[in-house]
Amino acid sequence: MARDSESLTRRDVLKTSGAAGAVGLAGLAGCTGGGGGGDSEYPALGNYPVEGDTVTFGFNVPTTGPYSSEGEDELRAYQLAVEHLNNGGGWVDDFGDLSGDGVLDYEVDYVEGDTATDADTARESASRMIERDDVIMFSGGSSSATAIAMQGLAQEERVLFMCCLTHSNDTTGKDCQRYGFREMFNAYMTGQALAPVVTEDYGSDLSFYQLYADYSWGQTQQESMRMFFEEAGWSEVDSVATPLGESDYQSYLSEAASSGADALFLNHYGLDGANSLSQAVEAGIDQDMEIVMPLYNRPMAQGASQAIEGIYGTIAWDSQIDNGPSNTFTEAFGEAYNGRVPSGPAQIAYAQTLQYAAAAERAGTFYPPEVISQLEGYEYDNIGMGAETMRACDHQAQRDIPIVRGLPESEQGDGQFFEVVNVTSRDDVGYACDEGPAADCELGDDGSE
Amino acid sequence: MSLFADLLGVFLNGLQAGAIYILVAIGLSIILGTLKFVNFAHGALYLVGAYAGLLIANEVSLSNGLLQRYGYDTVGLGWGFLPALVIVPALVFVVGLAMERYLARPFYDRSDLDQILVTFGLAIIVQEAVRVLFGGQSINFRRPGWASGPVALPVVGNFPKWRLYVIAITAVLVLLVFLLVEYTDFGLVVRAGTRDPEMVQLLGIKLTRPYIVMFAIGAALAGVAGVVGAPLENVNPSIGMETLVPAFLVVVIGGVGSIRGAVVGGAAVGMVYAILVGAPLASIPVIGGALSWSAWSQVGIYALAAVVLLLRPEGLFGSEEVS
Repeated sequence: MARDSESLTRRDVLKTSGAAGAVGLAGLAGCTGGGGGGDSEYPALGNYPVEGDTVTFGFNVPTTGPYSSEGEDELRAYQLAVEHLNNGGGWVDDFGDLSGDGVLDYEVDYVEGDTATDADTARESASRMIERDDVIMFSGGSSSATAIAMQGLAQEERVLFMCCLTHSNDTTGKDCQRYGFREMFNAYMTGQALAPVVTEDYGSDLSFYQLYADYSWGQTQQESMRMFFEEAGWSEVDSVATPLGESDYQSYLSEAASSGADALFLNHYGLDGANSLSQAVEAGIDQDMEIVMPLYNRPMAQGASQAIEGIYGTIAWDSQIDNGPSNTFTEAFGEAYNGRVPSGPAQIAYAQTLQYAAAAERAGTFYPPEVISQLEGYEYDNIGMGAETMRACDHQAQRDIPIVRGLPESEQGDGQFFEVVNVTSRDDVGYACDEGPAADCELGDDGSE
Repeated sequence: MSLFADLLGVFLNGLQAGAIYILVAIGLSIILGTLKFVNFAHGALYLVGAYAGLLIANEVSLSNGLLQRYGYDTVGLGWGFLPALVIVPALVFVVGLAMERYLARPFYDRSDLDQILVTFGLAIIVQEAVRVLFGGQSINFRRPGWASGPVALPVVGNFPKWRLYVIAITAVLVLLVFLLVEYTDFGLVVRAGTRDPEMVQLLGIKLTRPYIVMFAIGAALAGVAGVVGAPLENVNPSIGMETLVPAFLVVVIGGVGSIRGAVVGGAAVGMVYAILVGAPLASIPVIGGALSWSAWSQVGIYALAAVVLLLRPEGLFGSEEVS
């Protein structure tokens, strides 16, 4: 702790003195801008102002651990975003706010970190990015526990965190922060979107059994599924926690199978989800129970391969969603990576990086409170998921949610693993600022006073 | 469902979970028992077995790693599972021979700490080498077609077919090794060498060769464990380390150098795990909510080891040192 505060002080002093530059001590009296976007009206804050002529973004993703496949794909998208920000291409050509010539005339550079799908490692890695690499913004996720840890650090250090893959209600609920913004929807919205579709198909009076990953995301996911499915007339038989990173679910699945429930919810993600779903099908559970995988993505569908057939779930985004921005992204990603089809996590990573850059351009500065005010309440329709709002009260994007069903193995291929059953309108999901997870959200201050 | 069916289900799950540990632990235990060599790289042999099996049995698509960078988007021979089950142990047997000769032998007379350090280092090198070559992502190791899907067992109901094969393959291999050690001259020399190496050498028997063969057999068993264990889950570079720790616990519980101990220890670890996860203890109501025992399944394994160590420091089937 002592070392942290020491280096923080050193950094602040360097920043302040550097920024003050020729104006000397006058800078300390309130005129300490002189960098970070050609302005001179803001005091030093976090890693503002930006020194030199490059601005650094930090990308902190799991490249090891159970969510590493998602992390690898996010990283590809982040690298593509930086390439496009500097040289044009992809969405940058269509975003009115972006020029393809860096951000605010600064060339964009980036640093990478490995969260190892672990909150402490994520925080350490992010801390290094902030302290050593002077990142002006960082992004990442896959595992809400890491995202929440990074977001907390962002608030303390006054450096913006653009949440990538995090689906826990807490991220924009009780753990929300002024310095964090989330494009991804949450477990609450997944429950709202999934319950009507699933109950219509399977019946409205079934009993269900839940397995869930035992950390922030899994817990809120399990609660939300119970809430919305019980509202829809289903009843929960039991709900059992499994450790994050568990590889063998056979014993858990046997219990679920002998519970007599009609449906099994697997609230697992990434490699855990691929393992639990394929082991469930291997054990023949799908013959007696309906399996639901509330949150899916492409890498885990690939891992579970033939097991996903007919299984319902929600996803962040899919390349089949046919509109301008979606197609542009799929095309640009494929061009950059040997025809590879991007996953939902990749799309969010790309979107979040560009959203930050566009907000900085609109603000005309990297000064965090100004960028934050550009993001709060921002309405957009440029990332392929229809009209969206980045809500000011909890920094949660209000957006549509795609519901998918796994394709049979014979129809899988070319990066396609799902059929999109329904895209639930944002008008049918979500909650007011004083309801649901948002009721527990208290955004901190932006540090501008 | 009846309590009997539940118990039988838990028993099968425990046996299956234990089977992989048994295969890994036998080698670990024999090497530790005969050669007094602490092999932290034993999990790496499991890892090598899994990836070698993957390459022989499956066509795999890579999404990153050096192999992909050099244009091998798809690697793997697609020869099927049975060839993998024969080739991989042979391959890892050779790896074991080399490991004994060039890594273990120079360290026989060194302290346990030196042995741990050098083998742990090797384990990390192997793990990172696999990560560099194949990338960090998890790869789906497909079960052989003939053993895929569930089988309807009487009383228990549906059970994954492959898991029954795992139990059967383990049983056969364990029996073979047991017969080799207990009923052959080779086994006699090895056992005698374990008890009193000086006396065996005084009788004019060279121990080097049986030792190196024993080391390689242990390695081959870990390799087989990799091939049969990998289709149970997705394969990634950290599975070697994840297997090593429970395998060591099995050795501690069963007793060093004892095949019987490894079998009983492995089964016990599997059972404790399955019982803690399974009903009727799955969740019992306590004040303020339900306490989930499943989270305690890992703790239970260590607790078992602690209890055994307290009651029998040499393990269930371990013998006290003669020398």
